[in-house]
Parts: sequence; C-alpha cells; structure tokens
Amino acid sequence: MHLETAAEKCTGCRICENFCSLQHEGAIWPARARIRILSETDDGPFTPNICRQCAEPECAAACPVEAIQRNERTGAWVVSAECIGCESCVEACPYHAIFFDARSGAAYKCDLCDGNPQCAAACPEGAVVLAKELC
Amino acid sequence: MFPYRGYAGKCLYVDLTRGHIETKEYDQELAENYLGGNGVGTRLLWENVGPEVEPLGPENWLIFSTGPLCGTLVPNPGRMEVIAKSPLTGIYGDSNSGGFLGPEFKFAGWDAVIVTGQSSRPAYLAIADDDVQLHDASELWGLGTSQTEAAIRKAWGDPQVKTAIIGPAGENLVRMAGIQITPQRSAARCGLGAVMGSKKLKAIAVRGHGPIRVANPDRLRDLSLEMQQRLRANAIYPAVSAHGTPGIVSLMNALGRFPTANFRAGGYEHADRINADALDARAFVRHVACFGCPVACDKVYRVPDGPYAGTSLRSVEYETLNSFGACILNDNLDGILAANRLCDELGLDTISAGRSISFAMELWDEEILNLDDTGGLAFRWGDMDLVLKVLPMIARREGFGNLLAEGVRRMAETIGRGSEQYAMHVKGMEIAGQDGRAQRSMGLAHVTSSRGADHLKAFPVVDETGFPDEGRRRYGDKYLPEIVQPLATRHKAFLVKDGEDFGAVVDSTGMCKSGGTFVLAELYWPDLAAALEATTGMEMPVERLQRIGERIYNLQRCYNALHGITRADDRLPQRFAEEPSPSGNAKGQTIDVEPMLEDYYQLRGWDLERGWPTPDKLRELGLPDAIERLGLG
Repeated sequence: MHLETAAEKCTGCRICENFCSLQHEGAIWPARARIRILSETDDGPFTPNICRQCAEPECAAACPVEAIQRNERTGAWVVSAECIGCESCVEACPYHAIFFDARSGAAYKCDLCDGNPQCAAACPEGAVVLAKELC
Repeated sequence: MFPYRGYAGKCLYVDLTRGHIETKEYDQELAENYLGGNGVGTRLLWENVGPEVEPLGPENWLIFSTGPLCGTLVPNPGRMEVIAKSPLTGIYGDSNSGGFLGPEFKFAGWDAVIVTGQSSRPAYLAIADDDVQLHDASELWGLGTSQTEAAIRKAWGDPQVKTAIIGPAGENLVRMAGIQITPQRSAARCGLGAVMGSKKLKAIAVRGHGPIRVANPDRLRDLSLEMQQRLRANAIYPAVSAHGTPGIVSLMNALGRFPTANFRAGGYEHADRINADALDARAFVRHVACFGCPVACDKVYRVPDGPYAGTSLRSVEYETLNSFGACILNDNLDGILAANRLCDELGLDTISAGRSISFAMELWDEEILNLDDTGGLAFRWGDMDLVLKVLPMIARREGFGNLLAEGVRRMAETIGRGSEQYAMHVKGMEIAGQDGRAQRSMGLAHVTSSRGADHLKAFPVVDETGFPDEGRRRYGDKYLPEIVQPLATRHKAFLVKDGEDFGAVVDSTGMCKSGGTFVLAELYWPDLAAALEATTGMEMPVERLQRIGERIYNLQRCYNALHGITRADDRLPQRFAEEPSPSGNAKGQTIDVEPMLEDYYQLRGWDLERGWPTPDKLRELGLPDAIERLGLG
C-alpha cells in the first residue's frame, strides 16, 4: 500500500495534517504531522507531500543502523527504536518526507497508520487516497 | 493548572501604554460559564469596559479570543472573535473571522490576546510560541494590509506567519475599518480596526508549533468524521462548496431580498451579471479552504483582462457583490472585484464602506447632496471610477471621504436636510445584504442583534426561501409550516432567539456559521455539546450549552442596556414600514417588526417597556451582578 496525492484537488484546509498528528502524537499538532501541505502562497496551488513508500528508499539506504524497515503487511517503511538520530535519512530523502524530532532525538515518518491512513480517511476532497496495490 | 483540554490554558494581556506583556492562566470559571471566543470576550468587556469608556480611547479593550474547538478536528474550526466597544455604534462590538490565525494562536499556546492602553508610537505584537515581544512598527505605518504582511514575513524569514493587520483605514480611525486576517479574510464589522488604530497597534503576528491536546481523541476523531460525512451528504453542500456565498445572489434577487439602490428595491435587473455564474466564468482560479474546513466555500479569483486586469483576491462574498454591485446599481463585475481588493488593502469593511457610498448616491439622486457638499465629486449611481477614487479618500479621511468614514448614521446627522430617511442602519450599524420586507425573521434579527443591524447574530436561514426539510430536521414539526415561510411572522421570535443563542455558542467555540452550523443547518446543539465534551472533558449536556448561549446573549443586551439602549432603539429604518418593496416575491410587502418583537421579548424574559432582561431572567442565568449594575433590584 502507499498514498497517492492529487494536488489539483487540494484546497489547503490541512485536515490531513490534523488527523495525522492526532493519530501519531495524540494531539492536534500540525508541526508534527507526517503529511505536509506545501504551498508558495496562501492562495495555493497546494501540494500534499507525504512519503511515497519507495521500492528502494534512499532514507533506508542512508541509515547506518538499518532502523528503517518495511512492514511487509502494509508496505510502509517504518522507523524503529534503533534510530540513533543522525538525520542521514532526513538529508537523503528526495521528497522531504521524513523528519527529525529534536525532543525524542529520533526520525519520524508516515507509517500508513498501520494500514488505515487517517489523512486519506479524513480528506474531504479525495486529494490523498490510499492505493492498495504494492508499489 | 487549567483543568480542561482543547484550550491552550493561558492568555496574554498586553498593556500598550506601559509596553507591558503579562501571561495569565485562562480563567476556569469563564470557560465553564462562557466557553471562550465570543462569550469570554463579552464577559471581559462587561467587567472592564464601562459606559464611560470612549471606544477610541486607551481604556477600551481589544480582545482577540479563540474557543475550545478552534484549531481542532470538527468541521470548519478556523474561526476567532475580536471584541471591543464599537466606535461605529458606541455599544457592544464584535467581529468574527475565519482563515488560519485563530488556530495559530492556539498552536502558539494562547487562547486569547487582550490588548489595552495606547502605544505612544506604532507598534506590532510578535508572538513566536512563548516568545512574545512588542516591536516598533513605524516603518509599517501607512502600508496596506498585504504589504504589511509581506514585510513581517520577510523580516521573520517565515512565510507561514499568520497575522491580524490594520490598513490606513484603521490607522486613521475610520469607523468602518476592519482587521485583515490571514489569508485576506476580515474581522470587518463594527470598526474594530479603528480601535486597533487608536492603540497604534499595526499588527499581531503569530507563529505556533505546539499541540492542542484534547480530552478524548478517539471520540473526537469519530465525531468529527461523522460530522464531515453529514456535511458532505447535506443537500445544500454541493452549491455552497462550489460557489460559496456568491451562490445565493440570484436566489436572493428573485426573493426581493437583494438590496438594490440603497434599499429602494430588493432586486436588481442586472443581477445575472454579478452572480456566481458570472464570477466563476470571469475570474475563478481555484477552491480554497479555511483551516480544517471540508466545505471550502472560499475561492481565489483573478481578473484576466480589461482595466482591472491582474486584480487577484479571495473571500469575494455575497455581501460585497451586493454592496458594490446592486446596492450602488453597478453591474461591472471587474469593478466590484477591484473595489473589494482595494477595501482589503486599505482595511475597510466592504459592507459599511459600500453602504456609505450607496447612501451618498441616493442623496445625490434626491438632490440632497450637491457638488459643493462633496468637494466636486458627482455621486452618480454605478460610477465605479468614483468608487475607486473615493475608497482611499475614506481610508485617509480626505475631503468628502472624511464624512463617509463616519458611517451613515453620523453622515445623516451632519448632512441633515431630510437625509435621515435614507440612512439605512440600526443602532448605527449599516444594514447588510438582507431586507426584512422579503424575510420577516431577518427584519426582527436586524433589530435584536446585539451589534446593531446584523444578519449573523440570529442568522435565520430556514425561511429564506422556505426549507421545510431543514426546518423539520432542526426544529421538528412543531413550528411548521410558518417557521420556514419567508413572509409569515408566527414562530419567528423563536427562530431568532434560538439562532442568537446557538450562534453565540458557535462563535464561542471557534466553529463557523457559514459551514455546518447555520448555512447548511446540519450541526446543532447536540453536535456541539458532544464535540465540546470530547474536546474539553467538561460535562456538557445540551441544556447546559443552551444556558451558556442564552447567558452570553443576555449579557450582550445588558451591556447595551448599560449604554442606554432600550426598546426605542430596536427599530428598523422607516423605509421598510412605509415603502412597499417593488421586487420579486416581496413585491408590495412592507414590514412591521413590533408584533414579532413583543413575542421575542416575552420569549426572552425581557420587559416589554424597555426590552431589558428582567431580574428573574438574570438570576436564572447566574447574572446577579447585572441586576445590580442595571439598577433592577
């Protein structure tokens, strides 16, 4: 599974960021969302940006301790507790879709909410949808 | 420790006279009795800004107030309130804005920002999470609103900074100056931009990176998704989402409810040139949403060619299509967009600014005004060159613009010569794009609104054209059919009272009235009670929430009573009683609000003589201090 985005449908409402952060942080916390709406102006156009769950991810390849592993059931690349916080993955990802949390000293990224991604469930415009075929 | 979730739990007090910034814990009792937003602002105004305070003096408070649902998951939670004594009306004043600023306040850790005093030189308030500072704004003073926002963002190196900004109109104490809120939305009404200008506060700029914690995340998520699904299944949703408020232009025109030529009529022969279809065909760029809104009624527009080519803006509302369209007999859509954009940049309320101009145009037509009065400006109906010339004069108080800047009530007092009969206001507030001759409840709503003529306090929608399904869903069969009939008077007191109480709650939570609560008439008392319980952890039975709404609205009336407002002020302009509407479904109609008003006072528990809350009602609502302060016991 992976998430597909349709930027032309995005209205910039940030519902995806809000539901994402609630799922992962237990609070509404857009600054900690795994999905981010990118835009150069307040008026758009808007681009939802989220991990592509690449077939050969550069984040995982860059990780010196192999802390980024694929969940075979969901297809999501997940940061494990082995993460040492070196931020190599953040620098390696060409999509800017993996982040570093200075507080916990670890990287964080989209884990497809263990197969039920909240951003896709909540997006009213269909701008983020779950594609079920393995990529 | 503040006990409830959903709130940031603290607020800022900024004394501009002393340059002093203080952090206070959010008041638990205020949250329990008034929720936040509108309610808490009302209570603070009641306690701290007495009748002796001049609206443009340093003693007035300017309160930026979010609510517990603002920035959360419920549909359209992007709203915030600004509250102060109004320099336009001299009574209770508030204005509400969507966009992204309210949530940003909360992510920065603040439920409210209370501004008092007066700075000796231009200042702006910078809030970067916990780091709050007053900066010199001398170099921003005089700039337009978008210019100011761009300058602040550049200085911070952060394009995500959210702002509340006044333009030249607020700086020059124009009584219809609004406050622009990121992104190009407005807390437009009541002249609160002039209050900000009187304090020499050019802007508040906010960036927040923190969380909003909620009491029951799983429950709130489920409730919010369910509400969103109901909104999207609502029969009116497709039209509201596709067109926003411009979508009702043609409908209101057919009803005779679309003010034309300063309310001489309620229908405009060229409405089809300024309606949603015309707007979309001419200038639509894309749909855009406020924070957390699945409706996305806002649009970006851009004029492609012609004299106003390149004019780019958003938040083009029904009201502005009326105020710079039908109400001044202008069918040039590009001209409306240019006027709208100019008002945004100057920081002017498009409704009241448009009404000052339509009032002057009618006076010109009636030959009450001449070139000597206006400094050589001919106020001919529909002259957009004139309008675009006059708007900056209003904002800068130049020439005849200095009089227009005062609003129609003061204009009439100054001009005299019988002009009063054309001054379309209630309690000094210019009437927006409705006409009680075509919709009885709206006439009542205009006179009972706590901020002067206003459609958004009661916001009766089920009887605009007659929406029986919505009426039944919301109120049951008991009030049908009259409650949804535009010209019936029966049950309209109930419709208005319920709307005012529910609206006060909506405006105290941070939710939007143009979304699920009023325009779609989908979300109602039980939905908000459930959402508040899941978010805050407060026990919130529906009866308690209704009591809170009633308390807020009664306290606003008490505040106005303290300022001398009585039943004698609850009056529509004579025109509505004396001149039958020539338009649409309202053809031949006049309106007499008195019978509905009697029903309303009785339903409210207010006395019929002055229209003030009775001691019994105030005791019931837990407002014993109001009994004493109004000398009722």
